[in-house]
Amino acid sequence: MSAVIDLAEISKDYGHFRALDRVTLQIQSGVTGLLGPNGAGKTTLIKVLLGLVKMTEGRGRLLDFELGRQSRDIRAHVGYMPEDDCFLHGMTGVESVQFVAQLSRLPAIEALRRAHEILDFCGLAQERYRLVETYSTGMRQKLRFAQAIVHDPPVLILDEPTSGLDPEERQVMLNRIRVLARDHGKAVLLCTHILPDVQSISNAVVILARGRVQVSQSLAELSRPAKPSLQVRLLGPSDQFVNRIRQRGIEVDTQSNGSLVLHGALEGMSEFVWRTASECGTGVRSMTPSRNSLEEIFVSAVRGELQNE
Amino acid sequence: MSDGFQPMTSSATHRAEELTSKKNDGQGVHHLGYRSWSGWLTPGWTRWLVISILGIRRSWQNKWLKRMLYVAWFPMIWLGAGIFFWEQAALYPDWRNIAMSMLDGLPHDATFERITEAFRKGDLASSRHTVWALLIKTLFRYSQPVMMVMVVGLIAPPLISQDLRSRAFLLYFSRPLTRGEYVIGKLGTLWAYLALISTIPALTLYIIGVLTSPNLSVIGSTWDIPIRIVAASVILMLPTSALALCFSSLTQESRNAGFAWFAVWILGWFTYAAVSTGEAFHTQQQFRRHHEVLAPPESAWTYLSLYHTLGRVQHWVFGFSTLQDAMTSMAILVVITVVSLSVLFYRISAPMRV
Repeated sequence: MSAVIDLAEISKDYGHFRALDRVTLQIQSGVTGLLGPNGAGKTTLIKVLLGLVKMTEGRGRLLDFELGRQSRDIRAHVGYMPEDDCFLHGMTGVESVQFVAQLSRLPAIEALRRAHEILDFCGLAQERYRLVETYSTGMRQKLRFAQAIVHDPPVLILDEPTSGLDPEERQVMLNRIRVLARDHGKAVLLCTHILPDVQSISNAVVILARGRVQVSQSLAELSRPAKPSLQVRLLGPSDQFVNRIRQRGIEVDTQSNGSLVLHGALEGMSEFVWRTASECGTGVRSMTPSRNSLEEIFVSAVRGELQNE
Repeated sequence: MSDGFQPMTSSATHRAEELTSKKNDGQGVHHLGYRSWSGWLTPGWTRWLVISILGIRRSWQNKWLKRMLYVAWFPMIWLGAGIFFWEQAALYPDWRNIAMSMLDGLPHDATFERITEAFRKGDLASSRHTVWALLIKTLFRYSQPVMMVMVVGLIAPPLISQDLRSRAFLLYFSRPLTRGEYVIGKLGTLWAYLALISTIPALTLYIIGVLTSPNLSVIGSTWDIPIRIVAASVILMLPTSALALCFSSLTQESRNAGFAWFAVWILGWFTYAAVSTGEAFHTQQQFRRHHEVLAPPESAWTYLSLYHTLGRVQHWVFGFSTLQDAMTSMAILVVITVVSLSVLFYRISAPMRV
């Protein structure tokens, strides 16, 4: 499957400051989380993709369009939701969505119909008839999302789509993104600081730090620990259980929350755990294969401890 | 979608699915969920038109603007009456006598002498072009520039400053829109209203002239006037709208842009008045000393008045002065336009560079 976004050795300098340093990246369809600390180059990368700033060197493609040369075509096929609180002054919600649809060349009447349809999808009901400047942060966030998707673009670039939303609205927003990617085949580049958001809906993760790609991998691969291990929580005391396990030569770590991590081959391990727990007169509350948390991956990547594959 | 890494809680997922599903009845019976869109697209060049129409619609909500547009058409009444009177005088000698007595009270110059001579000889057809051009020039030279300053002062200040304040540039330029289209779209809003107070009234005046003349053969002798009207309109619109948008792009507060706009015209006008008065006083002193009449040389400071600089070029456009007389003024207008547009493009590109 060809990559939706394919970048090769992209660099961007602002004077003497190098914001992007030879970024090479392939992004497939589905949801890709773009992570990085502040100043990592995420926004610059988005601006380069949209052709809002010129890259200093490198080349790349988005869909079938060449970066830098076919910026208008790219912007016609991309829905961008900016992080900044930007709106069109003096317009109602529905008017502003209609307006941006018309800028994407939808005919006026069709743009209005489509604006209503998308505002329904985004959960802006009667508020759509209010002036945008009277909107709360959450409403503006939904409005920007509606503006990004109103022209039905195949690629979405969403910059902090869930910031400023309450927990319930955040889940709803993530689900909208999931629906677009899963049911409508959109390629979504999700740029956020909220790691659980990326964990919950992304297929792949790109971590930028100091303008360089530190990690670009599928989430499944990333979350797989170097050594297979099992996380076990018991119903009762664990001392006897731990001793029995260690007698079998299996390394065990006790974590601060009381759960145990059993290192080693997983084959036949679960049956052994059940049996041992039974012999020790205790029960197993939960037993799951251990995975690296995205937070750990992120911190390691930012510190430069992970190598991009 | 998720790899089961750390899935959403089941209740939250259920609620989220519920809120975004087709079955959700919170949004009314028309809520259809997300649907793909396909249909015909409007031509690419219409993007600037979308911006212009939005600007026109939003400006139209200002009741002061509507009042000004009505007022802007008032000069049409007496200028139209002037053309009507001239054409009637061409047909009826009695009207000529009345016109002669009215012209006596007016200050005379070469053009006036020519018109008076035409009245005396009864050969009004030979001066028709001059009279029509003079009346239409009066519209462009005196009344409409004043209306233009007020109308542009009402419309232009928020056009870009509001986009700066609300950071709407990201919404515009993340679309397939160039900076040029954005600027033309904004200029289009101003041009539409300026055409409504200059080009359209002037062309209407010309049509009134044709309709009130003895026959349609007058078109043969006045065919160039519509072209001059269009040229005069372009000269009125281009530098002024570029300057107004330049001011608007320099600030996030539209009142600052409005203040700068009016200050340029008012201070320029006062500078012209002060310098002209000084020169007239100096000339009078010389007349007293040497008993000779000297035409006062026009000071370069008078070019600070945009109103008079525009007027000099309009004077040339309607054939009442030579190109040489208008050259400096024309150069000033070109410089104003180029510098204003350069600043404008720089300012609207600036948010993208950050």
